[in-house]
Amino acid sequence: MARYVRIALITLALGGLIVLPLYVESTYVLHMMILIFINVIVGSSWNILGGFTGQYSVGHAAYFGVGAYTTMILMQFKHVAPWWGVWAGTGVAVVTALIIGSICFRLRGPYFVLASIAVAEIFRVSALNLKNITNGAEGILVTEVPPLTVGKTLITDWASKVPFYFTGLIFMVMIIVVTALVRRSKLGYYFQAIREDQDAAHSLGINPTIYKNTALAISAVFTSLAGSLYGVYVGFIDPSTVLALDLSVQIVMICIIGGIGTIVGPVVGAALLVPLSEALRSNAITDALIKAGVVSAESKVGAFLKENLAHAHVLIYGILVVIVILFMPDGVIGFFRKFGARRRTA
Amino acid sequence: MKRFIVLLIALTLLVPAFAHGATKVKVGFINSITGPEAPIGENLSNGVTLALEDLKKQGIDVDLVKEDDTGKPEKAMAAFEKLSTRDNVAGIVGPYTSKCAAAISKLAEKYKTALLIPVSSKEDITKQGLKWTFRLSATTEDYATILLGMAQTLGKPKTMAIINENTDFGTSGAKSAKEYAAKHGLTVVAEEAYAPGSPDYRSTLASIKGKNPNVVFMVSYVADAILLMRQSREIGLSPQAFLGAGAGFDTVQLAKEQEISNNVFSSTQWTRDVNWPGAKSFADRYVKAFGKEPTYHASTAYESMIIMAQTAAKAASNRDRVRDLLRKGKWNGLMGEVAFIDYSGYTNQNHHQMLVEQIQHGKHETVWPPKFAGKKPVYPFPGWGK
Amino acid sequence: MSILIQALISGILIGGVYALIGIGLTIIFGVMRVINFAHGDLLMLGMYATYYLFAAAHVDPFLSIVITTPLMFLCGAFLQKTIINRVLDALPQNQILLTIGLGLIMSNTIMLAFTSDYKILSTKYSSSSMHVGGISISSPLVISFAITAAITAALYWFLLKTDTGQAIRATAQDREAARLMGINVKRMSIIAFGLGSSLAATAGALISPTYYIFPQVGSVFTLKAFVITVLGGMGSVVGATLGGVLIGIAESVGGVYFGSGWKEVVVFVLFLLVLLFKPSGLLGKSRT
Repeated sequence: MARYVRIALITLALGGLIVLPLYVESTYVLHMMILIFINVIVGSSWNILGGFTGQYSVGHAAYFGVGAYTTMILMQFKHVAPWWGVWAGTGVAVVTALIIGSICFRLRGPYFVLASIAVAEIFRVSALNLKNITNGAEGILVTEVPPLTVGKTLITDWASKVPFYFTGLIFMVMIIVVTALVRRSKLGYYFQAIREDQDAAHSLGINPTIYKNTALAISAVFTSLAGSLYGVYVGFIDPSTVLALDLSVQIVMICIIGGIGTIVGPVVGAALLVPLSEALRSNAITDALIKAGVVSAESKVGAFLKENLAHAHVLIYGILVVIVILFMPDGVIGFFRKFGARRRTA
Repeated sequence: MKRFIVLLIALTLLVPAFAHGATKVKVGFINSITGPEAPIGENLSNGVTLALEDLKKQGIDVDLVKEDDTGKPEKAMAAFEKLSTRDNVAGIVGPYTSKCAAAISKLAEKYKTALLIPVSSKEDITKQGLKWTFRLSATTEDYATILLGMAQTLGKPKTMAIINENTDFGTSGAKSAKEYAAKHGLTVVAEEAYAPGSPDYRSTLASIKGKNPNVVFMVSYVADAILLMRQSREIGLSPQAFLGAGAGFDTVQLAKEQEISNNVFSSTQWTRDVNWPGAKSFADRYVKAFGKEPTYHASTAYESMIIMAQTAAKAASNRDRVRDLLRKGKWNGLMGEVAFIDYSGYTNQNHHQMLVEQIQHGKHETVWPPKFAGKKPVYPFPGWGK
Repeated sequence: MSILIQALISGILIGGVYALIGIGLTIIFGVMRVINFAHGDLLMLGMYATYYLFAAAHVDPFLSIVITTPLMFLCGAFLQKTIINRVLDALPQNQILLTIGLGLIMSNTIMLAFTSDYKILSTKYSSSSMHVGGISISSPLVISFAITAAITAALYWFLLKTDTGQAIRATAQDREAARLMGINVKRMSIIAFGLGSSLAATAGALISPTYYIFPQVGSVFTLKAFVITVLGGMGSVVGATLGGVLIGIAESVGGVYFGSGWKEVVVFVLFLLVLLFKPSGLLGKSRT
């Protein structure tokens, strides 16, 4: 794609996102957008470690949870405002990443995967048991987010969704910029060299330990930002929501379904999966089918769909995952690229 | 001719009066239809189904909008938003889990849509001073207080062991038990939190047996209650009483396993033989419709839906009126007397009377408090038979 | 002291069931290098089959494995042939996601068919136990342990003494070399997955009298299966057996000393230690 076209498209998209809250009042849409932003952030962060550096961690919930808990603990128990708390969260996340890295990076392939899962689970169970720090299974409930003031002016009191929307947007832009910078930099080349052949890279003088840990640290920082945002936005966290294996799997899924190793991949993945999961969960698809007249609401099929499609949404999700992996292993982006390449050579 | 026209006009004016059949209300219902809490969520759905039937008979036509929160707080939030802003419901009943309820309680305030929580037990939810959130059921601390209060009245236990599942419900139940113990001179000799779903609790139970507690206080959901009792019998753990707080002990499946469940106590929000109006007939109807006994999740959901729909009808679906009427109203149905009041730091909390059941010969019998009891409690635990 | 012995004995007994699950996974991983996240769900299918055989035809769960085991073998073989086979050469994370997707399909289909209600399979001996010197030993678990031992022995004989068994081992050792030697590695993969599935389902059948059954029960066991497999050494049947028993003991004894809340952490820490210091596992051979 020509450079100018790409810049124009990005500016357009960004501009659209910035002005969206002015034109769209529906809080439901804003809620979806915030979730999409959070998912893009975690997907892109994972991409740096998994997509560029080839280390497939299925334990990224650890960083998400660390960010969420640090910010929430500081806010609720120590009354530290979240805009300072999130940076403390990233600090803790980096330390966590380095510790985890030192344990797990000695392992390769499937062993690394399993180790990353084990570590995340240790975090989850520890959060459950260390009740004095984390409030254990009861979780942390937000009672009030302090208003954000600069000098004497009140910027926001966090009552509506809009400030969360912009925070998510800012974080998302940050991670995408970082991803793009890393990709084009020497750092990116080192990462990809390690991904392609770690030993060969090592023999060329690239220290795998340093670079793998760097990738993990960057990844951890942004994942923890997403976790902190989630915590303050939803208003409640507990180990089963922010430190769960399900979450780690979801993070991987976003990146893989979108297109691993690309910058746009996680964006596409999140933009697809979040609305899809919501559409399946609510009755949107059945309603749409009925409205379009494909199925009548009174017919047997219609009634069956209405009753059961919502129950079956996880099943459909599973089927979709299987289909994507089997027929679109490079993700949606990869699929369209191949498609485009075929057309060009035709 | 003139008289004919007058008659015609009069009749035409009367037609709307005759046509005024059912009142239509639109109510939202958030529940864990899928996800890890689905088995219990199903009870709530069933209770609501029966409620809708009864409401129809009362002339209230409920347009129910169901939303699945899959057990996740952010999905509950999305569901609430959708119901409140896009479906424009008069009020919302649900959700099931405490963490989902915690996440959406503030949304009720924000969107000025009344939220009636049937059975989430986390105390904090109604301790936030929120004006639009209402709760029907008793909270976690009540589960502990009623059991331990009973134990202290029937016997003189001095020591207690606590086993709880490592979840929100389990941990807060354990906490309440400890607080009670501190205030009433009971010593906690053991406290074990376990991860639900484990197949083997024997070593945990053995170490508890070693501490020789007078009563064993257990907080379990799911079928862990069955495993715990089965393995307690194997190990030979035999205290003065087994006090079970939580839905796991309330199930029919546990009662059926007579070898392991006889004489186990459980605290519950509702039983079928309590003398509250309509309790028994509800239970019979439920069994007929769904092939199994209703739990208190079903009864609380039923009553919550009845209250919300009736209130919405009275308020002509005006949200402010709904809130007002909920606040001022009094009901007396199968959950006993219901009124949403402020007390002990709670806002809009129904001061619900908890009950204690005991499994006697394969059936749950209400044994405490004496005012509502059907049978006498068997205390202390007579030991494991052959 | 008696508490410790009690913990030890219960740990060994439950470890027997864990071992069976681990053996199934180790065969799958050894032969195909596929991380099968749906393993627990295969166990779940076995449990449901056992439950319905019991509820409908009063077939004792222990006897029903005669039916469930071959049935699940066919199931697994079918899954391998149609779906898993396509991702054998794919990136590991794709394999993981695929098996996760399959697992979701399995557990949710069962949920739609049979509801999420917990099902209890109660036999006359579900609660019975023997008492030896103040230690209580669960009878059904002893029977499962015995059956597991028998199956392990039979499996071992199969792998050592029969042609097919040796072919499987060869494929596990070095897929390319085996292919060059004329072994139909595709067929070996199908057999391996079938075998692994049937073992998982059998484990499910064995544990059903003493546990409970619901669609998502698999997730509890999948992770444990991985820990056991790695602990024992990927591809080693004896290793998985030992691993299973070790994990059972670690959990049980760990629960006594650190409190039951930390049980899982004990297992995972053990797991990480093995991965760090002997990644090929207790009985595995060093292999990159």
